[in-house]
Amino acid sequence: MLVKLYKKEGNIVQILSFPNETVEKGDYLLIEDPNGRKKLIIQVIDVQFANIPGILEELLRSLPDGGEVLQGENFDPLEIAPHITYIQDARLLRCKIRATMENGSLRPSSSWLPSRPRSTIKKLPIPALLKLAKIDGKLPIILGSTKDSTVLTIDASSLDGRLNIITGKKETGKSHLSKLLMLNLVRYGAAVVVFDLNGEYVSLGMTSDEKRNAYYNKIHVLTPSQNFKVTLKQLHLHVLLSILIHALHLPGTSTREFRRIWQSLKEKGSLNLYELGEAIRNWSCNHHVRDALFSRYYALVNSRFFTDNLAEAMLLKESLLKAKKEGGAIIINLRNTSSIDRQIVVEYVLGKLVELLTSWKLKAIFLFAEEAHLYLRETYWDDIVTRMRHFGIFTTFVTNQPDTIRENIYRQADNIFLLNFTNEHDLEAVSRAAKVDAETVKSIAKDLPPHQCLVLGKVVKDFPIVVQVKALDIKTMGETRLFFRDTN
Amino acid sequence: MLIEQLAIITTPKYSFPQPSINMLLPQRFIELSILSLKHAKNQPFQLSQQVFQQDNNLEQQIETTQIKLQPTLLKPRSEETLVAAVDTSSIKIGETSKGMIIAVRGAIIWKQKRNYRYLRFGPFIFHVTEQNKKEVYNALYRTYSISSHEHNHNCSPSILQMPTRIASLLERWLQDTLSRTVSNGLVLFDGSLTSGIAETSTRQMKEILGNARKRENIVLAFSKMTNLRFNGYLITDVAFGYKPPYLFEINGLKPKPPITLLGDVYVARLTRGNYAFRLDIDREVPSKQKVEAVEKLMGNDLLIQSYPETLRLAHIFCTFTANEVIAIQHFIARKYDLRIINRPDMHRLLFGPFGKGESCS
Repeated sequence: MLVKLYKKEGNIVQILSFPNETVEKGDYLLIEDPNGRKKLIIQVIDVQFANIPGILEELLRSLPDGGEVLQGENFDPLEIAPHITYIQDARLLRCKIRATMENGSLRPSSSWLPSRPRSTIKKLPIPALLKLAKIDGKLPIILGSTKDSTVLTIDASSLDGRLNIITGKKETGKSHLSKLLMLNLVRYGAAVVVFDLNGEYVSLGMTSDEKRNAYYNKIHVLTPSQNFKVTLKQLHLHVLLSILIHALHLPGTSTREFRRIWQSLKEKGSLNLYELGEAIRNWSCNHHVRDALFSRYYALVNSRFFTDNLAEAMLLKESLLKAKKEGGAIIINLRNTSSIDRQIVVEYVLGKLVELLTSWKLKAIFLFAEEAHLYLRETYWDDIVTRMRHFGIFTTFVTNQPDTIRENIYRQADNIFLLNFTNEHDLEAVSRAAKVDAETVKSIAKDLPPHQCLVLGKVVKDFPIVVQVKALDIKTMGETRLFFRDTN
Repeated sequence: MLIEQLAIITTPKYSFPQPSINMLLPQRFIELSILSLKHAKNQPFQLSQQVFQQDNNLEQQIETTQIKLQPTLLKPRSEETLVAAVDTSSIKIGETSKGMIIAVRGAIIWKQKRNYRYLRFGPFIFHVTEQNKKEVYNALYRTYSISSHEHNHNCSPSILQMPTRIASLLERWLQDTLSRTVSNGLVLFDGSLTSGIAETSTRQMKEILGNARKRENIVLAFSKMTNLRFNGYLITDVAFGYKPPYLFEINGLKPKPPITLLGDVYVARLTRGNYAFRLDIDREVPSKQKVEAVEKLMGNDLLIQSYPETLRLAHIFCTFTANEVIAIQHFIARKYDLRIINRPDMHRLLFGPFGKGESCS
């Protein structure tokens, strides 16, 4: 390669490259020191023009004169002009040190300096990098192909016990990637729960030509108030209290009264919606408390998520246990569900999951949460990344608004799948993640075309790799409804 | 002597009038350039950059006596007149063990129908050594002198003088070509119309001016710097108390032989502000036409800070930028396998931060 090591500052290396070198952002280079013991693995994070002295004068000279470029002829017998163009087009590659290779093993170090004049720099092809970094595994998930058409395979176990974030602006393929990960986890027998805000996951069991696919029997779509209803008897008091307190904002005094009503009904063996309404009506308490309880009661009734008809009720536990046995996905279809009802359902599902996990009825669960800020209460964020993680809930947040995910979530994220973002504010939010450096995120993510993803974190052994996400043969449900579609 | 012969193609496309351009000098430039560079092959090469200014010490040999106290006030004349200008520059590219590598380039700019056009010659690169300097210079000199029936037997510039001498030869050739090519135009030179030394012979300059007159051209030479003084003050610093644009004629200049003044010398203040230049106008042109020429220049060219844009562009187009110097160094290192070495700067070595480099010695 016609490149020269120019500068090293911290973990940034600057390489001088000439125009005939086709090096792009995201490419990996290997700097070999002449003594042969150590090698630096660096990644190009930006390609700039080299700061050539006199370039300003050169450009000024060729500036248009009154709107027209100064016309003329050059009698250049020695043909120096191509050399001038060559120098003018010299590039500076800003690269980030990713690892040092010594005696065949990698370590994340940038504490040594290779020789500037004598080092050789060559491209490190992605297959070689994958081999060096041992990015493979026993449970391969084909994510897609890299720029040089290498298949990028990650290990499903690198998602196990991890906190993942899939983010990018809309229509860049976040849900597509999320479905790819989810289906592969199901393929390896994992139990997955998806909070599907827009009903995008409901047809995962169908191919694009509407035939049943291999996952058909493993996808269980639960639509609240339709095929997903619960009876009060199925509920634990603490789950209902969570719904009342967090989703319906029931004050403390009223909560205490509700607890008493609940205990009373339970003792009588009459835990149902009708009896609950009657009990509130007849309960001896302050009328403000009664009003508060009534308003929450009607919110529960109107959600149509609760039923007194046992035949209508659905046992989430059974679906989860089935998924545990064979691998499967429970899709909680939150489409057409109001904000309050969404929160009620989510509180119920999360409460149930914690209950099953704490009692070891479930080993672990992969939770995919689309636009979680629309239904997840404040305190759950911390719960999910700390407490629930220990119970065995391994969450993947999918969002196009990265600033809605709290900073501490980014800090603890193990894997980030970053699709295109152009907004500085969004990139700033993502760059808070501990697994990435802000410069890499800001520079590479801006130029990603749709369906190309910058993969960061444990799945790629901390070697950021850009991948064209593999297509899936499933029925698409996430398309935006268009007014002019038929006319086009 | 085997010389690589490059095909030199004139530019039939451009609209500049070109009856019969004698390409002999550039051809000789190319031949000598390539030949001299071949001698530099595989030598160690110390990079450096030094721009050479053409010498103006001729003026020290001219005594100033008086300035005409009445200014000639000027009014721009807008009748369409072609304005053309010539300038050259030279630069030291680096040193070899035997000498140095220099580059020269010339530019012609002309303005016609509101548009500026350019024609650039070079860069021509020479490897000048003690052994070949006389041969290179005299060969170039003879090539040009043949046309002017002049021979220069005593010419042996020092190596350090070579860049400016070679650039001067190119400049004279460009001036001559322009004078023979343009008609009814204004031809602008950088510097003065003073002659009488090796690089500016009186006969050459007279021939250039004569050729210009034959084609109804008027030569105007602008000096950016002058040492001519009146009552101890630089002539361009004398405050005359008149509102520009105007010319002040400098009378009674007495050059010491063989120095000859081929132009009448003026102080030209052509725009508002404190910018004045020494302006030489071909002495053989009648006084009225001289003034009209300056007025036509004002009417046809852009004047910024009293200096014509055409001449400014000629300077800009021939000047070497740092980027071009790097490209030339790249070219010679690649093509002639020069080994680039870093000879220590003795000033830096001896005096540390107090050593500012060789140029301040």
